Amino acid sequence: MNQFFIGAGMGISVLVLLVLYRVVFGPGVYNRIAAISAIGTKTLIILLIMGFVFHRVDMFVDISMVYALLNFIGCVAVAKYLEMES
Amino acid sequence: MIEIGMIVLSVIFIIGGIFFFTTATIGLLRFPDFFARLHATGKGDTLAVLLCLIGLAVYEGVSLTGLKIVFIAVFMALAQPTATHAISRAALRRGIQPWTKGEDKK
Amino acid sequence: MVRQSDDIIIGTVARMLVPFIQLFALYVIMHGHYSPGGGFQGGVILGASLVLLLITHGLPETKKLISEKGVAILSSLGVLIYAGIGLLCLILLGNFLDYSQLSKILQVMPAEARSLGILGIETGVGLTVMAVMFSIFLDISTGGVLPEDEEE
Repeated sequence: MNQFFIGAGMGISVLVLLVLYRVVFGPGVYNRIAAISAIGTKTLIILLIMGFVFHRVDMFVDISMVYALLNFIGCVAVAKYLEMES
Repeated sequence: MIEIGMIVLSVIFIIGGIFFFTTATIGLLRFPDFFARLHATGKGDTLAVLLCLIGLAVYEGVSLTGLKIVFIAVFMALAQPTATHAISRAALRRGIQPWTKGEDKK
Repeated sequence: MVRQSDDIIIGTVARMLVPFIQLFALYVIMHGHYSPGGGFQGGVILGASLVLLLITHGLPETKKLISEKGVAILSSLGVLIYAGIGLLCLILLGNFLDYSQLSKILQVMPAEARSLGILGIETGVGLTVMAVMFSIFLDISTGGVLPEDEEE
């Protein structure tokens, strides 16, 4: 079961590297914000899988919950800032 | 017997979650317009996260950490669509037009 | 009381989520010695919940909830709790922040008095951090000029 979790974690890490292309080359700022929200979502799953690999789930569950919160608040804050007239 | 059944169920959920992550990423890279990419990452990512979290909660069993993982799943189901709506509303207010067929790729 | 917000979807979801975010921040403060957390981390999450209310509802609506005077009072209250517990230990013939002297007035073992003393100062730290985070965000977002000053 350990190997399965490590394989799943590596697969999602490869997907994160693919999304980084859109962060660097996205024409305009809106593409970059959508890609960063996607990276935050995948990071949350990688954190939880790492908790299962190290057999210390109760520590990593709190960390991933805080990260989900921060991802949501950051995304809404940047979208609100981009909506204002300059 | 029941234990092997739970492990198989959680493996099925996690593989389904990784499949939807892959299709959402391919959509984010290959779609021709910003609003289409927002469709792909907003819907695909949310469903994939929900499936992965349910799979991990089933593997953990009925305990305090399993309940906490279910709480994270409920929060994600509520917050991810709201963030997508906020981004798309900001983009529409500032004048980005949707792409119609026959134009070049952006 | 119904509050006006810019967008109805984001405003409703924010109003639904803020009590649970604050409950989770209280859990993070309390469990500082078991799991990752403590005073500063819980205070930041509390401040983030107030910032979420500010960016979805605008400045005049949030001012009805917490005024600037309330923010200043809260931050001073946190420091008062921290220094007050330390001074109490000093009055009871110990060193500054020597929590084992608290067992004289609380009638518990010295080890349990130490645990309760640390919980008390973490609460004070959390209060101060929440107030200062909110105040910094208010200063940055309004540019230091309040709407009342602008009208004059």
